[in-house]
Amino acid sequence: MLEVSNLTKQYPTPRGPLPILTDVSFSLSRGDAASIMGPSGSGKSTLLYIIGALEPPTSGTVRLEGADPYALGERELAGFRNTKVGFVFQDHLLLPQCTVLENVLMPTLVSDPSSAVTDRAVSLIEHVGLRDRLDHRPGELSGGERQRVALARALIQEPPLVLCDEPTGNLDRDSAEAVSALLFELHRAHNSVLLIVTHNAELAARCSRRYRLNNHQLEAEEKRSPTS
Amino acid sequence: MTLSALVRRNLTHFWRTNLAVVAGVAVAVAVLAGALLVGSSVRASLRALALERLGAIDQVVTSQGFVREELAADLMGADGMSAAFSGAAPIVAVEGFVTHQSSGRRASSVQVYGVDERFWAFHGLEPEGYALNRNTAFVSDGLARELGAADDDALLIRVEKPSAVPISSLHGRRDDVGRTLRLGIARVLPGGELGEFSFRPQQGFARSVFVSLARLQGELEQDGRANTVLLGIRGEGAGARGAAAPLATAEAAVRATARLDDLGLRVRTLADRGAFAVEAAAGLLNDATAATIDAAAEQQGVRVEPVLTYLANALRVGERVVPYSLVTAFNLDLVSSAPRDDDAAQTPVVLNGWAAENLAAEAGDSLTLEYYVWEDEGRLSTRETELRVADVVPLAGPADDRELAPDYPGITEATNVVDWDPPFEVDLSLIRPADEEYWDEHRTTPKAFIPLGAGQQMWGSRWGQLTSVRLFPADVGQDVGALDAARQQFSDALRASIDPLALGFVVYPARALAIEASAGATDFGLYFIYFSFFLVVSALLLASLFFRLGVEQRLPELGLLRAAGFDARAIRRVFLGEAFVLSVAGSVVGVAGAIGYADLIMWGLRTWWVDAVGTTRLALHVSPWMLSVGVAGGIVSAFASIGWTLRALAPASPRSLLAGAVAEITGVVDATAATPQTRSRVWAVALGLTVLGLLLVGLASTGVLAATAGFFGGGLVLLCAMLAFASAWLHGRPARDTAGRWSLSQVGFRNASYRPGRSVLCIALIASAAFIIVAVDAFRIEGGGVELDRQSGTGGFTLLADTLLPIVHDPSTDVGRDALNIGDLYDAAGPLAGVAMQRFRLRPGEDASCLNLYQAKDPRVLAPTASFVEEGRFAFGQSLAETAEETANPWLLLDRVFDDGAIPAIADQTSLSYALHLAVGDDFVLNKDTDRPIRLRIVAALSDSIFQREVLIGEQQFERVFPDYDGYRFFLIDAAPDRIADVSAAFEDRMADFGFDVVSASERLAAFHRVNNTYLATFQTLGGLGLVLGTFGLGAVLLRNVLERRRELALLRAVGYNAGHLSLMVLAENALLLGAGLAAGTACAIVAIAPAWLERGGGVPLLSLGGLLLVVVATGLLASLAATVAAVRSPLLAALRSE
Repeated sequence: MLEVSNLTKQYPTPRGPLPILTDVSFSLSRGDAASIMGPSGSGKSTLLYIIGALEPPTSGTVRLEGADPYALGERELAGFRNTKVGFVFQDHLLLPQCTVLENVLMPTLVSDPSSAVTDRAVSLIEHVGLRDRLDHRPGELSGGERQRVALARALIQEPPLVLCDEPTGNLDRDSAEAVSALLFELHRAHNSVLLIVTHNAELAARCSRRYRLNNHQLEAEEKRSPTS
Repeated sequence: MTLSALVRRNLTHFWRTNLAVVAGVAVAVAVLAGALLVGSSVRASLRALALERLGAIDQVVTSQGFVREELAADLMGADGMSAAFSGAAPIVAVEGFVTHQSSGRRASSVQVYGVDERFWAFHGLEPEGYALNRNTAFVSDGLARELGAADDDALLIRVEKPSAVPISSLHGRRDDVGRTLRLGIARVLPGGELGEFSFRPQQGFARSVFVSLARLQGELEQDGRANTVLLGIRGEGAGARGAAAPLATAEAAVRATARLDDLGLRVRTLADRGAFAVEAAAGLLNDATAATIDAAAEQQGVRVEPVLTYLANALRVGERVVPYSLVTAFNLDLVSSAPRDDDAAQTPVVLNGWAAENLAAEAGDSLTLEYYVWEDEGRLSTRETELRVADVVPLAGPADDRELAPDYPGITEATNVVDWDPPFEVDLSLIRPADEEYWDEHRTTPKAFIPLGAGQQMWGSRWGQLTSVRLFPADVGQDVGALDAARQQFSDALRASIDPLALGFVVYPARALAIEASAGATDFGLYFIYFSFFLVVSALLLASLFFRLGVEQRLPELGLLRAAGFDARAIRRVFLGEAFVLSVAGSVVGVAGAIGYADLIMWGLRTWWVDAVGTTRLALHVSPWMLSVGVAGGIVSAFASIGWTLRALAPASPRSLLAGAVAEITGVVDATAATPQTRSRVWAVALGLTVLGLLLVGLASTGVLAATAGFFGGGLVLLCAMLAFASAWLHGRPARDTAGRWSLSQVGFRNASYRPGRSVLCIALIASAAFIIVAVDAFRIEGGGVELDRQSGTGGFTLLADTLLPIVHDPSTDVGRDALNIGDLYDAAGPLAGVAMQRFRLRPGEDASCLNLYQAKDPRVLAPTASFVEEGRFAFGQSLAETAEETANPWLLLDRVFDDGAIPAIADQTSLSYALHLAVGDDFVLNKDTDRPIRLRIVAALSDSIFQREVLIGEQQFERVFPDYDGYRFFLIDAAPDRIADVSAAFEDRMADFGFDVVSASERLAAFHRVNNTYLATFQTLGGLGLVLGTFGLGAVLLRNVLERRRELALLRAVGYNAGHLSLMVLAENALLLGAGLAAGTACAIVAIAPAWLERGGGVPLLSLGGLLLVVVATGLLASLAATVAAVRSPLLAALRSE
């Protein structure tokens, strides 16, 4: 389902290329949940953004359901992100000017409209426990609530791949626990591929597959059965 | 949820930022639309003023000479006239010199109108309310105020007395050229009662006097005659349609109805000669008319005998003299059948018996003929010629013909010879009883006859070479009836052959021309747009800056949208939607601002800047069209500038957006992007722009490119080059080695390179304001004191004078001074001792200087004498000089001959550029659209001189093309500065009859400078507004920078920096931006205006310029105050915690 092959990423600098990722390869199947850990600056987020079709690699390929997003034109690439990938960021990145419902519906603005999306959005919001906050603005929500809205937004298009960049990094312990529980619950419900970049060992431990980035290279850790 | 809903949400949520964008757009629209409104308001005001002054006039028929009053009625009876015009009114319109009797206040160039009830009725007023008796006058409100006159006050009105005989000819009445009327003011007429009446456009108050038509006709000895016929407009807006058809109609009517006597011609029956004669009221038939007579005679089969009769001072044979005799030059066969050789070396002369007897002459004797000639330079000279007596004929038959002489005023009507009162000196003591007897019996009968060619060689002039043409119809003999019939038939044929429009008649489409001239010599709208350009750019930069700040705030949001599948186009659509709404909102606010701004400027033009426009009658006219253009321009510009900001979003990666780190948007230098190659490219662009800017300025200075394009285009490109340099420098600083003394101010300077884009924008704002302020101020002209330098704007002359009446005597000669009765003033102790003067011929016309807001279609023309040309005074800018002599003295170019017949002309550079819109080498056509166009070619441009109201041509050319404008009416006087008052008083007192009006030359020049400086003040105000915007932008950017770096500042405070340290850092950053902006703006302005400034030859007003720049610095530093205060007050702990 998700195949990452020989990914390399370098940034040009006046003093020569700066390596970030070197020869990274792995693959995940539908229903897999994977975590990537590593020290700050090790390239975790860069890898996530490359997989999420947000930043092209220097070399190597990414294939999701057999499609290489970087072989697509700009419009198709945008469509790919819209329908195939759901993002959850450390900073929830909600539109402060929009309500909870509107934030969740935001990805649907540029896809084929269907009357069912609003029902699905309400359902998702209900699922994340914010049914009574549909018309609230992000400024009226707590940090955990905002991240739950971000989770619902990531799943509104029912993408096969959900990417999370430190989804609990800005949350207190209780909120982080609640959000991670919800994340895995939704993952199971949607049977998607879940890839989480985190410093949080507990969150990483819940994943069926775990990786660590060291010296620009990805290493698989011992495989354990997921804790949910 | 839709995209438009998202746009709505964005607009309301980020209302603070959006409000700033709306304000920026509003200012841009207000300035742009306001500038257009100012232009249209000035035009509309001028048009309204011109139309009010015209009253009911559509067109005006004028004649060089006086015509029958009945011509007005005759014109209306012509084909198509009653359909084209509402009516016609004859008036006498002359220029006058008015003195308020009790106060002695004087006013020159006053329009004096002789009117009767037909004039008031023509304009739709009740004539009963405007009855004038012979001793009263109405005066215009403007003149009454100038003179301080009120009802019942007495005025002395001096007017020129018309003379059919040219005053520069021997028989011209040089001593009788004016009349003075003493009239009481019956009423002061306000504007609504034709107090502003005028058919020539001029924006100042009308200065006019209305007197009884009959009284004025009587004074001018023109009973029953007028020189102007007003044709009334029929229907609303007829003139506005261009009046092409009515002009042709009126011209056709003039051609159809003018009679020979309206053209100064008469055909007289000479029954006892079996002939009739064509004569001119001027005494001489001009060459064109003579040719027409020949042609008509040939057509009618009538024999022609041209005649030229002249007064000889003396006929002398040996010691015997016959004084003051008329001599006729014509076909000698008419009086003598003796064989002779007309082409012999000595011209033959045929004497009548009386003369031969008195001279004791016989055939073969040599005879000396002595006669006067009036030289063009203004003096009488006596010449002699030797003739050979070819025959003596009896005083009978064709030789006894007193009708061969024309009417000589002062001679023909005299009872005795001793009663002669000719306009030249005669020694009556020479008159003998025999001469009186001859006069008694034979009056003007010529005593001698010479061949026509010889006579024309001696006495021909530019006014003509014949005094009459005798016409002998075939087969009529002495039959008076048949002769009269032939005369009538010939008269009709002659009249049909003559075009009245070629003989002094002019149909002047007053209304159409007034509307055309209302477009203005100076397009205020255009100039306001030019000078508002940087203001508009500043406002747009600000709008763009605020929009950019808003986008910066929302970069992660953009990243999110990209991550959620929005492509760049969709995001751009959202932001362009916002931009459109903001632009429209800004434009709506801007419309109100435009009206307020234009109203304020119009108020300024009526009050602060009234010196420049010379009228307080300019009012705001809101033109929906101009507003729409301004709004559309504002929206497009704002939309484009915001779109330009958004273009940077396209290449930005979603990741960089999510991180809020798009260098193109935030301006934060991306170390990975700023490669040496990139910086090299920016340097190369900057250098390229510099070369292009210099090229544009160079092309403008050589005349290849228009000066305005050179100034604004070159200036703009140079300014962009400077900004590119600044950008390259600021982008390069982070990579530079920072070793060395690390001071707080250096930290401030380094901060300026934190966001180079913002810094460059600040520099651009300040530079734009500095550019306008410096460029405009460099043209300001100081001084105005007495200038004796011959290469200065006064030519070293201290006084100049205009006269109402032409002066033909040369005041530079003793004879001329005596003739003018000023000889005693030149005595060693007299007030005019040592005073020299130069005189100019003058053809009146419109003021071509900046004092006249209307376009000068027909400027006044001056012609200097050869002695003035030789002196080579005044400084010139450009010229067509080819030889060293012409380069040293461009006045010599007036003598250049062009193959195409164009007449060389010189004008002041300022008038050429701003009023006539011409350059050296260009042609200007006087009498355009008539049968007699006069093409002038500008051969040189004077630098900032007193000759801004006119164009100058050579004297010979003037005499050729303007033969009707006799004498000299403009004078430049060389008087020592300490004697100016005495010299002025002496001239004005002794030459009052000529309406001699003396003013200080430096004051005249200063009047032009005042207008110039007032215009500049207007435009500097725009620069000032730009400065306000620039300061506002600078403050906003600095504040934003400080707020963004509050964590950094808090850290500095935590490690021990105090308020003073932080203030110094912020001030250093501000000073750097301010200094760079000022340096860039000033340098570009100086380079851009250098060609025009050098051409003008002005000095640099260093003091005022330095003062202005100091104000800019002070204002800019004030802007940093808010930022400094914000930096100092930034809460330490909160900022640190937010880390």
